[in-house]
Amino acid sequence: MADKKTAPKLFAALDVGSFELCLKIVEIRPTGVRQLEYLRHRLALGSDSYATKKIGLEKTEELFRILQEFKDVMKSYHIREYRAYGTSALRETENTEILLDQIRNRSGIELSILSNSEQRFLDYKAIAAGGELFDEIIAKPTAIADIGGGSIQLSLFDKGRLVSTQSLKLGVLRLHERLQVIQPRSNQVEALLDEMINGQLSVFRRLYMKDKEVKNLIVMDDYLSPRLNAAIKGAGPKHIVSFSVFQGFCTGLLTEGDEELSERIGLPEESVPLLRISAGIMRRVAESFSAEALWAPGTSLCDGIAYEYAEKFLPRSSTRDFEQDILACASAISKRYLGSRRRSEAIEASALAIFDGMQKIHGMGERERLLLRLSAILHDCGKFINMTNVGDCSYSIIMNTEMIGLSHLERETVALVVRFNHEDFEYYDELSTHSDISEEVYLVIAKLTAILRIANALDKSQRQKVRKLKAVLREDTLEITVDAGADLLFEQERFLARVDFFEEVYGVHPRIRREG
Amino acid sequence: MDFGNTEYYTNRELSWVRFNERVLSEARDKETPLFERLKFLSITASNLDEFFMVRVASLKDMVHAGYSRKDIAGLKPAQQLELLYPVLHDFVHMQYDCYRKLLKECASKGLRMVEHHEDLSAADGDYADRYFIEHVYPVLTPMAVDSSRPFPLIKNKSLNICALLVKKGKDAEKEKNQEFATVQVPSVLPRLVRLPDSEGEIRIIRLEEVIERNIHRLFLNYDVLGSAPFQIMRNADLTIEEEEAEDLLKEIEKQIRKRQWGEVIRLEAEAGIDKRLLKILKHELSVTSEDIYEIDGPLDLTFLMKVYGQEGFDEYKHVNPKPCEVPQIPPGSNVFEAIRKGDILLHHPYQSFEPVVEFIRQAAADPDVLAIKQTLYRVSGNSPIVRALAAAAENGKQVSVLVELKARFDEENNIGWARMLEKAGCHVIYGLVGLKTHCKIALVVRREEDGIRRYVHLGTGNYNDATARLYTDMGILSCAEPLGEDATAVFNMLSGYSEPLGWNELSLAPLWLKKRLLKLIRRETEAARAGRSSGIRAKMNSLCDPDVIAALYEASSAGVQIELLVRGICCLKTGIPGVSENIHVYSIVGNYLEHGRIFIFENDCDPEVFLASADWMPRNLERRVEIMFPVRDPALKKRVMRILSLQFADNVKKRILEPSGEYRIPRSKKAERYSCQEAFEKEAAQLAGKGRGKGVKDSRRFTPRSAADDE
Repeated sequence: MADKKTAPKLFAALDVGSFELCLKIVEIRPTGVRQLEYLRHRLALGSDSYATKKIGLEKTEELFRILQEFKDVMKSYHIREYRAYGTSALRETENTEILLDQIRNRSGIELSILSNSEQRFLDYKAIAAGGELFDEIIAKPTAIADIGGGSIQLSLFDKGRLVSTQSLKLGVLRLHERLQVIQPRSNQVEALLDEMINGQLSVFRRLYMKDKEVKNLIVMDDYLSPRLNAAIKGAGPKHIVSFSVFQGFCTGLLTEGDEELSERIGLPEESVPLLRISAGIMRRVAESFSAEALWAPGTSLCDGIAYEYAEKFLPRSSTRDFEQDILACASAISKRYLGSRRRSEAIEASALAIFDGMQKIHGMGERERLLLRLSAILHDCGKFINMTNVGDCSYSIIMNTEMIGLSHLERETVALVVRFNHEDFEYYDELSTHSDISEEVYLVIAKLTAILRIANALDKSQRQKVRKLKAVLREDTLEITVDAGADLLFEQERFLARVDFFEEVYGVHPRIRREG
Repeated sequence: MDFGNTEYYTNRELSWVRFNERVLSEARDKETPLFERLKFLSITASNLDEFFMVRVASLKDMVHAGYSRKDIAGLKPAQQLELLYPVLHDFVHMQYDCYRKLLKECASKGLRMVEHHEDLSAADGDYADRYFIEHVYPVLTPMAVDSSRPFPLIKNKSLNICALLVKKGKDAEKEKNQEFATVQVPSVLPRLVRLPDSEGEIRIIRLEEVIERNIHRLFLNYDVLGSAPFQIMRNADLTIEEEEAEDLLKEIEKQIRKRQWGEVIRLEAEAGIDKRLLKILKHELSVTSEDIYEIDGPLDLTFLMKVYGQEGFDEYKHVNPKPCEVPQIPPGSNVFEAIRKGDILLHHPYQSFEPVVEFIRQAAADPDVLAIKQTLYRVSGNSPIVRALAAAAENGKQVSVLVELKARFDEENNIGWARMLEKAGCHVIYGLVGLKTHCKIALVVRREEDGIRRYVHLGTGNYNDATARLYTDMGILSCAEPLGEDATAVFNMLSGYSEPLGWNELSLAPLWLKKRLLKLIRRETEAARAGRSSGIRAKMNSLCDPDVIAALYEASSAGVQIELLVRGICCLKTGIPGVSENIHVYSIVGNYLEHGRIFIFENDCDPEVFLASADWMPRNLERRVEIMFPVRDPALKKRVMRILSLQFADNVKKRILEPSGEYRIPRSKKAERYSCQEAFEKEAAQLAGKGRGKGVKDSRRFTPRSAADDE
């Protein structure tokens, strides 16, 4: 038997998707993640939930049965650690909580629902696990088209960092359901698909791309990618294909008969329409972005779930720093709403110095530090809409803009911190009347708000007078030493106006001291 | 060139009869030991029974249903039956011709089979009568037919004696006074009755003769005008309406019961049977003249297997040497450790099947083994593999077993032990709807120091320790990761999950195997056209898939040299100008049943070697779950290629298929006798341990007797 300390870790990732239920069992070693089992069971939960907001009894029973089977397989591997997630099909049911409770009771599986951005982040992690090849691809301007059952997620990279991302409700299963309603003739399908997709694509282009170019398109889907890879095996290095090769492949798919196609590519005939829709979407995206090459890494959400769990066991050098992507994404949002980069940087620097100085008593960690940075970057994005109601407008912008890598709760945390930077702070009794956040999260919001308010005050003149800031905790005083290039009278006045809240939150008195 | 031209194909039923003729020729071959000849003759009889029950029955069904689709050779079902009837009648004549010769030979060697009770001496007659009264009479149930008692249901394959009776004192000539009666020869009693030995000679008489001699005792108030044994064969083709079959297990049980009472497709009666009796049988059983076989000898020659089992006469039998040990896995060794050293090729029955049993047995007891998954098609009674699987489940392992309930004629047996496995805690899958699972694959998942490791056994033959001593098969034990991944995917598919995104090594029927096969054949065709090295050598049980044959014709016409070893049915014709001149087909019918499937493709001087569970038949490639797997290890690849080459070199049991459709032994009288089966026996012994002689004998090691040895 293996020594427990050195033995590879076993982990199971479960995905209750809109079209398939998947279980992946992996073994994690310092050298990487190795797949042991990949079970997929087709169950189109999305067909029910997208149309009726509910999942029918027959499918629910099948869901329980398969999850029980998954549980048995996990048991056979003696799996102790697993993560089970539901995506859009469950997200869009009205009775999600009831369903989750039934799953827990019937199968013993603790299933959580991923928000779209959480799901896409995991997808992105799975792709990024491609390592050097991934880095090589995103070195050029790159986009990711992550095609799911309910929606597609388009993400843009700039200088190796993911900067923008947007979900469009153009998922394969959703479009298929819509086409079923229209019942088009086979020769009408492609044109109809184009019309369904083009409108939203062109808005995306205008909003996010402007004159930016995309050289590489990374595609992720359940239907086309595996077939594309099989079809082009050996044609290009590591499954990268030129757009023209891809075009040729898609033309074949879109013109061939169902039976013939099913036979040729080894796909069940009932899945052929979904493959076509996936191909149609991909082709439109590739054309619209004028992509020169495509890469279909063939990864799945389960890979992302497994990779996320595995990260802590893998050497740091082999894992991507996803925080930098989240920060780059926040900076891009700030830029879109005409935020000042220099001001953001000044506030971020001050806030972080205070955060680090308070380390002994605030009880927060790296993740909260990241949320503070994001709050600083986005601290006044709402002024783009209304300069007199910056807090509320910023809150709305943040809550309605996806940042891949942040959970819904984290996004709300950032949005509230930014809002209370400008507006009166709402205590828990009041806040909990319109938000689901827990007391624990509420306290984080309060602590981060207190820091951001002070950091903001120190650049209230917006002239970045503070060149350097150092915060040191001495008993019940936080001594903030600033090296400023000009007088700080205005800033000190603003600072004093915000000290009370800081004292209330931390029980510490902040004091400014000028260096030299 | 139209390679699909029906003229280029042989009807599969006729080709099957040719195969049974080859088995019969073993019975006729004077070089074959006498008792082996009896065994071969018995095999031809059981083969023929199955052929009637399945193939003839199916053709008749088609005719009844008005189904007129032509077969591979362009023949409609009715035409096929028309062609078959005379061929089958001729075949039966040949069987009995052979039987009579063997009878004489046996007598000359001290075994006398008394053919007719009339030939018994007074003393022997007394003995037979006493035997009848003491043992037979109590279990007989004679049944008379008259206006108040309908014609009884005659069980499929049961041996019966019919009699024409007339009440004592009535005019026997008047038809209205004649009554029909029948009595079943009890299957609970041995078919052979041994008479007291005389002058060192063993003498036996068949049970039906003893009954016939005493038949008057069954009908005391009657005179017996005539009597004769008869046997019927019913339509036994198992057709399950799976869509409606909620529970496959129950459905199969129902079908087995039904099999007893299907349409009568053959009536065999002793030659010289009273015409009046035959007329009644023909009428009551609704058989046509073509379906009646008047047999000049004993019915149901499968009793010869019992004759073979008579004690003594060892000098007239081929005593198969005990299978040799596999050198990489000596008894008592750790199978997993051995496999980790490299892939292991098993060549049965020359090499022992024990490592395969041990593979499952050790897995069952190994605390590091997490799961065992296996397919089972036909297993032996009291199978050690089934016992080990049950033990594994009881030890807390996850055991998944796919039991193919639809393995023809084994259904009843399979249901029994499948239930036993389920009781032990195994997850039993009772086959797949619409498909027979014929692949032979076992997977053991083991937790080891460096992570999970998967051990796989893949074979060409069933997990049956009894037949593994008689059938030539091959298997591989491996822990190569690509195979392990594929094996996992196979079991996931068999459990109802989606297909994997791709396969590393395995080709599965019915989804991918045929395509892959055609692709491999076409690659050789292209190579030949391009002037590169090409060639196909393959061994299988039957070849009748039209697409595969057409691809082979095309390859041949492109110049690919093709050598095929097809034991049974072969619908391919050789020597057709421009079509199959480069194809040579051979067949080996020998002491062991040739059962392995080996396919070798030249691949431009880099041969690819595959083993498979599938024949090149539509049923295997399109309606069964089958696996073809490559042999990658260079040394093992070489060994498989050599094994196949030696089979082609055989000049004792190998026959060549002539363009005429006849098979002949190609040996010239001057050539030195070379039998591959004998050579493999010797080679396995050498491999097992040079200098240790035959088998696994080791004077310093105790060998516990296993249950299998007692059988």
